[in-house]
Amino acid sequence: MLQYIIRRLVQSFVVLLIVMFFTFSLPYFQQGGILAPAYAIMGTNATKARVAYWGQTHGMNHPFIVRFWNYFLQTFVHFNLGTSYKQNMTVWQIISLYVPRTVWLAGAALLFTVLISIPLGMYQAAKRNSFVDYAATGSAFILYSMPSFLLSMLIMDAFSFHWPHLPNSPPSGVAPWAMFTDPKGFILPVAALTLLSVAGLSRFMRGTVLEVLVQDYIRTAKAKGCSNRRVLFRHAFRNALGPIVTILGLSIPALFGGALIIESVFNYEGLGMQTVNAAVNVDVPTVLGITLLVTIMTLLGNLIADVALGLINPRIRIEGKNS
Amino acid sequence: MTVVASSPSSPVALETDVVIEPLWRQRLRIFVHNKLAVASLAYVVLITLFCYLWPIFHPTNQTNQAATFNVTWNAPPSLHNPLGTDSSGFDELGRIAFGGEYSLALGFLAGVITIVVGTIYGMVSGFFGGVTDTVMMRLLDAFLSIPYLFLLIALLTIFNRTTMLLILVIGLTGWWGNARIIRGDALLIRNLEYSQAARSMGAKRMHIIRRHVYPNSISNIVTVATFSIADAILFLSALGFLGLGIVAPQTDWGTMLQQGTEQLQNGYWWEIYPVAAVFILVVVSINYIGDALRDIFEVRLIER
Repeated sequence: MLQYIIRRLVQSFVVLLIVMFFTFSLPYFQQGGILAPAYAIMGTNATKARVAYWGQTHGMNHPFIVRFWNYFLQTFVHFNLGTSYKQNMTVWQIISLYVPRTVWLAGAALLFTVLISIPLGMYQAAKRNSFVDYAATGSAFILYSMPSFLLSMLIMDAFSFHWPHLPNSPPSGVAPWAMFTDPKGFILPVAALTLLSVAGLSRFMRGTVLEVLVQDYIRTAKAKGCSNRRVLFRHAFRNALGPIVTILGLSIPALFGGALIIESVFNYEGLGMQTVNAAVNVDVPTVLGITLLVTIMTLLGNLIADVALGLINPRIRIEGKNS
Repeated sequence: MTVVASSPSSPVALETDVVIEPLWRQRLRIFVHNKLAVASLAYVVLITLFCYLWPIFHPTNQTNQAATFNVTWNAPPSLHNPLGTDSSGFDELGRIAFGGEYSLALGFLAGVITIVVGTIYGMVSGFFGGVTDTVMMRLLDAFLSIPYLFLLIALLTIFNRTTMLLILVIGLTGWWGNARIIRGDALLIRNLEYSQAARSMGAKRMHIIRRHVYPNSISNIVTVATFSIADAILFLSALGFLGLGIVAPQTDWGTMLQQGTEQLQNGYWWEIYPVAAVFILVVVSINYIGDALRDIFEVRLIER
């Protein structure tokens, strides 16, 4: 098991390097090249000399490979992601300020998604072609086909401007634990994010359970006289867990992407809003830092999902050891 | 009862006499049997026709802001403007067609790019296997770990935003999931007996890919392509909401929805609900057509 985790960690690191290389080379392709941020900071009327000076002080006159090596050392040896061009903060400060906020929002939504969609999917699979199944499938289809911002806006219009007049935005302070001290403001954003994820996950859960229910071991369980309830919870549920855990690990980037739109609609200063602002302001170090961070979280999420899968399903662990 | 197979005058039809319906006819029958899928297809075709033909039969001003100064802005539906006017004074019904042209065309083109690139990448990776597969899959892992929307935003702010760039960016960043699905297919098919047989007879790799792998994974390709188009339309609308969509004076449904939601609290329902209904139904229909297409390729459903 340990060997497997180490091997996966090394692989993840290689993936991380590829992502880093890719994102680091992106600014070279923008209009004005890597000196474009200079104009974003000093205005479009900045003289050539000042722009050149800015480039020199920020190490822009080194060749690409030297700059990449420096960035690599800076990130992985000194754990320093650089300083934002636009805000008077280091990228670490920005990240440590806004990551908890987004993590609370996305984490709460993820929790509710799992709590709702797994029972719902199982119920739908067990009572296939019933009214509830059709209704849930239909609404999931519509939710799935709806732009997230539209859903959030409609939710906001219905429950904030009309009854029951919930706050249309979470508290604007930066305390990450605001969700517990003032939960009322978080109801609408968390609900919107949850609804969006439930649509996909409950459909997936339904399909997985349906696939499990036609297996031979289910028939065996029924044949030896297990009650329907026991078959569903002891036999079908456990075997359907594997794909669900994998899909949850893979859904982390989508969750952050969804949080980005939700943050923007509900005016919640989080990681997503910071990224959009940084990208619009050509704040390269901030964009790079946040991308690296979210990539690391995604890779860790996948790794944890795979390890959890190994714990749930012993067959997979043995497979990992051999190869 | 015995059937004399050699006697041509036998009243019982020989097995070889039975006309076997061609496969595409059987598939068409399954598709037509699914009433909701036919309705979805009809709806998508109808909306496409509407978007491209309505402006010809009933031209409205959609780009000239100066000409809207003698028009009532945010006017409710009337005989002259069947769906009212929007917050810039443009006719809403004409604007749904005008924005739809861009949403549908961009979604379609971007979706086609994702499926073409994803199919080629997935097939090469899955079929060649070994080191090629490992390298290509690790690269794909790297792509998949980048938050998709973040990357789109970075790319769109870095480059000069044009309609062409939007197609390319959505198309070239959306194929990762597709490549993974197609790769799984190719991996499976290359180890099946008929591929092995072809290889043992000395068939070249490209020949096996063309004649065996591609035709046998066409069901997944077609299904995934349909979903890709729906996804591309959705992503375009999300970009429109973030202000990174099509550049004015052009517009798309996402941008229209964003402008409509700004007027939601003023009670100007005609600026949001008609375009929202058209938009959501188009995406639902395309997704449903994808589901139905998956069914028609399901061999178990074909009655022999």
